[in-house]
Amino acid sequence: MIEILLKVSVKELCQIESINEQIIIEAVDHGIAKPHGGRSVTEWVFDTNSVHWLKKAIRLHQDLEIEWIAVAMLIDLLQQKESLEREKQSIQQQLERFLQQNER
Amino acid sequence: MKFKDYYQILGVEPDAEKKDIKMAYRRAARKYHPDVNPEQDAEEKFKEVAEAYEVLKDPGRRAEYDELRQYGGSSGAGFEPPPGWQSTSGTNSFSDQEFSDFFNSIFGQRHSEFQQTHGDGNFGLRGRDLEIEMPIFLEDTLIEESKTIAYQIPVHENGQVSLIEKNLRVKIPKGVADGERIRIRGQGSPGQGSGANGDLYLHIRLVPHPLFDVHGHNLILTVPIAPWEAALGARVTIPALNGKISLTVAPNANAGQKLRIKGKGLPTKTGHGDLYAILKIVMPATADEEAAKLWQQLADKVKFDPRSEWSTQQ
Repeated sequence: MIEILLKVSVKELCQIESINEQIIIEAVDHGIAKPHGGRSVTEWVFDTNSVHWLKKAIRLHQDLEIEWIAVAMLIDLLQQKESLEREKQSIQQQLERFLQQNER
Repeated sequence: MKFKDYYQILGVEPDAEKKDIKMAYRRAARKYHPDVNPEQDAEEKFKEVAEAYEVLKDPGRRAEYDELRQYGGSSGAGFEPPPGWQSTSGTNSFSDQEFSDFFNSIFGQRHSEFQQTHGDGNFGLRGRDLEIEMPIFLEDTLIEESKTIAYQIPVHENGQVSLIEKNLRVKIPKGVADGERIRIRGQGSPGQGSGANGDLYLHIRLVPHPLFDVHGHNLILTVPIAPWEAALGARVTIPALNGKISLTVAPNANAGQKLRIKGKGLPTKTGHGDLYAILKIVMPATADEEAAKLWQQLADKVKFDPRSEWSTQQ
């Protein structure tokens, strides 16, 4: 059986993305992800969903050469878009259940 | 190998200034970046423009590329770098991208600082992380479930992409929520040389249920009731995810009314969400004469105008 994990440490994230800690500190300072664990950077751990957004943010920062503040805004909007899409889908499904049978 | 015209890829003239090249790259990158463009071919297009920019933004690399472009770029035939060709513009300052064989043939394979495996002197490239969607039935979140997942890993080798089929047996923890991600170490793309394998991420997606909607860890069930049940109140048996529940509808209930049944939602890591029953008043498909008479009596006796708010507004 395979071990599953729900967290990623800063050290691992630096290795995975080939980056240094400073980039992660920068992303955290801009509110892109909230670390758990200790106070010092080396003790930080992130949940897997935060890692998803952190990776996205780092790629956007590096590939598009855009400022962290713009990356943070973009991530915020992408998250809002994703959650609105999910909410829309769920409301639509609920509405259909409510209207079904009444439309005869 | 085909010669790549980086100027054409970025849509700039060969004598374009640095700032025009940057502008063209930014425009294309904004359009094709896989993090903002979900189209399937966006990633490939982005890689192409990123590679073109990697070369053209650096004066040394651009000069070398221009030289080769004169040499073999316009022949139309297959491209090979001249015998004995060696790039002098350095191979250690590239961004963390995978480049084409064409690029590597000119500038050589590069390894970034973190991708090197230190100590034994062997180079190692860590494999890429992989994310796959993992559909889960609502019922399967109630207990810790073992699931077999089948997925494919794309492997890039000698400019070709092949797929490795993989099967894994994974324990999905109880109480997983829609949108959550589970990390499985070392089951992503294989590393190169002595590099570690990438990780696999399972993105949990709850499969739409025929009866229940999901809101966080709460379940929502639409409960059809007859008009007289709404008027007089009733005890109705409703389905829960595991078993049945008896629900008391108070007299004078209304359509859309929400009744909360505590602890009958989806499991969380520490407890349970709630089940919400939303009432929906349903008329019988046909009404016989007797029923119509009874409705008529009701209409005559009860003074009720559901549209009273409209009349006061006019």
